[in-house]
Amino acid sequence: MSQFTTVTVPKTDTVAIQLTAPNQVKLSGTITQKDPSNDLAGFFKALHTAALADKLDEVRADVSGLTFVNSSAIRLFVDWATWLKNERGQRYTLLFVTSRNVTWQKTSFMALMSLAKEVLKIEQVS
Amino acid sequence: MESAENPPQSSPHSVPPPLVFMRFRPAWAYIDGIREFGRFFCQTTFGTQELADRACVVIQETLENAVKYSSNTADSELELSILSDGQSIEFSVSSLPDQKHLDSLRNELNGLQTLDPEQAYLAAFIRASNEPDASARLGLARIRYEGGVELSMKEEAGGRVRITATGKL
Repeated sequence: MSQFTTVTVPKTDTVAIQLTAPNQVKLSGTITQKDPSNDLAGFFKALHTAALADKLDEVRADVSGLTFVNSSAIRLFVDWATWLKNERGQRYTLLFVTSRNVTWQKTSFMALMSLAKEVLKIEQVS
Repeated sequence: MESAENPPQSSPHSVPPPLVFMRFRPAWAYIDGIREFGRFFCQTTFGTQELADRACVVIQETLENAVKYSSNTADSELELSILSDGQSIEFSVSSLPDQKHLDSLRNELNGLQTLDPEQAYLAAFIRASNEPDASARLGLARIRYEGGVELSMKEEAGGRVRITATGKL
């Protein structure tokens, strides 16, 4: 049984989160809380752990509908990429689906790619 | 007459009056609304989505910093102003920070300015990755790179600090 699809999705006021496939999570809305890690860090960590347990080849994180986030939220994506980069066993590729129409996604995921290009991919959609 | 179609112009030697001036208590709950007003204002006044997006980043991150580090006193209200001389735009946030935060703010700004905005943003990502238990400290680098502005800091009377972000229209 897939562990990824059974990860508990947190309820937050401004961001909608869906697990849409055995390897896909979709986030939309905005993340501008003072400390978004309270809601989301544990969730991302659980997805990461589940993806390893499921021996997934790829996790698709569709953030194209995240219209604005603060830098504390960007930090959560840095952390996820760092956990994966530091993983010594079998690991998956983390594919971020981004929107070419959303400015913060273009700049921040470009920077993230330079940090962990061996484990990340970016797909741009309109 | 000033209008959305005719943004204000001023002579090269005068300091233009603020197009926007806001004064408010340093509360996190206000930031989203003020950011979205800034988006609307820049889109409506200058007619470019690109500038509106840049304004959002500058306003969000400067106000977050100001709110996080404000002293808890009666005179700690924040001031946000937006100015333009027709060629450039300036976002300025004045706050009364807790004095123990001033040194780290000064050091962070000085460090940033030794690198170009893109390099500084990448360096901030690397630092965040290497220091998972520390605070993110991505905000100021993000303002410069994504906001397309240069940052300066001025210490004013009464312990107030003004962070100014200036960039091209």
